Amino acid sequence: MITDAQRFQPFSDEPIRLIDEGGAWLAPFSCDLDDDTLIGLYRHMVLGRMVDERLVRLQRLGKSSFVAPSSGHEAAQVGIAGAVRVGSDWIFPYYRDTALALAVGWPLVDMLGQMMGTRADPARARQMPAHPGSRALNMFTVASPIASHVPVAVGTAIAQKLAGAGDATVCTFGDGATSEGDWHAGLNFAGAQGAPIVFACENNRYAISVDLQHQTGSPNVAAKAHAYGMPGYLVDGMDVLASYLVMRDVMAAARDGLGPALVELTVYRYGPHSSADDDGVYRASEEVAAWRERDPIPRYRRFLEGRKLWGDAREDELRAALKAEIDAAVKASEAAGPVPVEWMFDDVLSRPTPQLERQRERFRAARRAAGEDVEG
Amino acid sequence: MAVQNYVQTIARTLMEEMRRDDRVVVLGEDVGKRGGVFLATEHLYDTFGPDRVIDTPLSEAAIIGAAIGMSVYGRRPVAEIQFSDYVYPGFDQLVSQAAKLRYRSGGAFTTPMVVRMPAGGGVKGGHHHSQNPETHFIHTPGLQVVYPSTPNDAKGCLKTTIRGEDPVVFLEPKRLYRALKEDVSDDVDFMLPIGRGVRRREGDDVVLISYGASMGETLKAADALSDQGIAADVIDLRWLMPWDENLVLERVAAVGRAVLVSEAPHSGNMMSEVAATIAEEVLDMLEAPPLRVSGFDTPYPYAQDRVYLPGPNRILHAVQQVLDY
Repeated sequence: MITDAQRFQPFSDEPIRLIDEGGAWLAPFSCDLDDDTLIGLYRHMVLGRMVDERLVRLQRLGKSSFVAPSSGHEAAQVGIAGAVRVGSDWIFPYYRDTALALAVGWPLVDMLGQMMGTRADPARARQMPAHPGSRALNMFTVASPIASHVPVAVGTAIAQKLAGAGDATVCTFGDGATSEGDWHAGLNFAGAQGAPIVFACENNRYAISVDLQHQTGSPNVAAKAHAYGMPGYLVDGMDVLASYLVMRDVMAAARDGLGPALVELTVYRYGPHSSADDDGVYRASEEVAAWRERDPIPRYRRFLEGRKLWGDAREDELRAALKAEIDAAVKASEAAGPVPVEWMFDDVLSRPTPQLERQRERFRAARRAAGEDVEG
Repeated sequence: MAVQNYVQTIARTLMEEMRRDDRVVVLGEDVGKRGGVFLATEHLYDTFGPDRVIDTPLSEAAIIGAAIGMSVYGRRPVAEIQFSDYVYPGFDQLVSQAAKLRYRSGGAFTTPMVVRMPAGGGVKGGHHHSQNPETHFIHTPGLQVVYPSTPNDAKGCLKTTIRGEDPVVFLEPKRLYRALKEDVSDDVDFMLPIGRGVRRREGDDVVLISYGASMGETLKAADALSDQGIAADVIDLRWLMPWDENLVLERVAAVGRAVLVSEAPHSGNMMSEVAATIAEEVLDMLEAPPLRVSGFDTPYPYAQDRVYLPGPNRILHAVQQVLDY
């Protein structure tokens, strides 16, 4: 598929972009993607946006305790997802990867079960919302501590290399993660081992309230790759084609044994950091509005329209279909109901310790004594 | 049976397990060409090569994190932290990633791996080469913690944990690495059951309970008591999480007096948990309150390296107190 391995240059001063704000193709080479692929990218971006908007509403309705808005990240996330060979590659996402998780095939009902903490969550409602994971997709379950998944992802990539299967790992994170010790420990080890892993930074310029200038003295995140002996690509993460094609190339290079890479995808988060954040305190509404003008979804729609692949009728049809899917998933996940109380004692170790068994017995006795239904 | 010291037993057991199962890999600082600074991984690199015996960068977070990632992919990693005192950069990996992976994924992902760490004092190493960190890990649900005190136990526990399904903190009493030799089972499938302690002495006057490096001092105290005509029952916990409540409660209930020995700092250590469990379960069988003999609530001292440890004299003093109660 890759016609020119050097098509994208690392360490550029300006972000790599393939379409401009008006949706016009900019690159000196032609786009090699078929129509279905091009439309599929759009569909996944719109799905991510619509689900994100629904999650925000569900949180406001009290049906979910937390949401980490992902609107503005869709192009980067769908681009990353497109570069994954689902089932053989491994994905180590972070908490804001709604569109990514859906685009690699995480079922909507699983996601909504996780967001609402119901029995529809295959992870048994063990974590707060925005913590995806799926064994079937090789998508490692998110943990909240920032960057703690980075050395783990490197271990998986080293194991892939030892297995010689020609698979790769992708590990995503935000800009704040690049200040954590674990991030540097992970990239350093990956560099030393030549591990088949791509580190994808969704740089939205804010770690909650702290802007990039207060996060690092580096000119950008991609430049940090120099220190670890790997290429660092600076990409316009609001251009889905640039995001996808750069990620596709570096993942293919990793599978081919050419070692790790760091890809910085510059994005903007339209919402607050989370449902517990007030972003008006640290950034001007004019700034948000200016980035709204550069929304990756209409930008890419203009590209598709330029190729006669899209129009109002198709847009209406897509949104109606996705809304129906989302409505059905919300309903199914709610209908699954709450998880049983005593599920909290399961899955600590492969077998419960005698200590935990005793605690469970006493807990049950106390509930019985209080007249509670211990089976519920 | 072969007469071996502790550290030789670790190296030979790892060799056997790597021969048995291709999935087993060893990683850590200096574990490859050097064979480990204590030689606990001696000859592995020559036998299995750099793909299965990985010299890592000097980063405990990378070592433990990568071990988790390899285990998720189907490998059976045995990571070495050169001194348990250096585990803290990798502490988040153990606490936030490894310990919670099975739970947070609803059982979808598991991380069977062993993190070996030399621990304990008596080596003139000051506070950064002498500490006993087990309490941190006992207090982290989702980890198993084992601290074998003899070469034979080390073999049996290491095999059990490498073949197990859980993340394990495997503590090795470094001052015993070469201090004692014993007959070690040559059975390549010799495994000791998870969570089971062992009686080292049988007696009816007082129960001494300990584990890890302090077993040496505890047995010395038992011998001294025997010379005075006092028969001590001695329990080696071996496993700290899960730990052998049944054995402890049965013996303490039968004897009525217990002295609990651990060289970890006093407040909130493993023996606090043992004492609390004794109080909760068998209080009416006691002739005296259980007494703890432990390290102190100070950083591990340098000049007072030996006296910080709960030596036989302090144990004997505690035994006298419970007998006189």
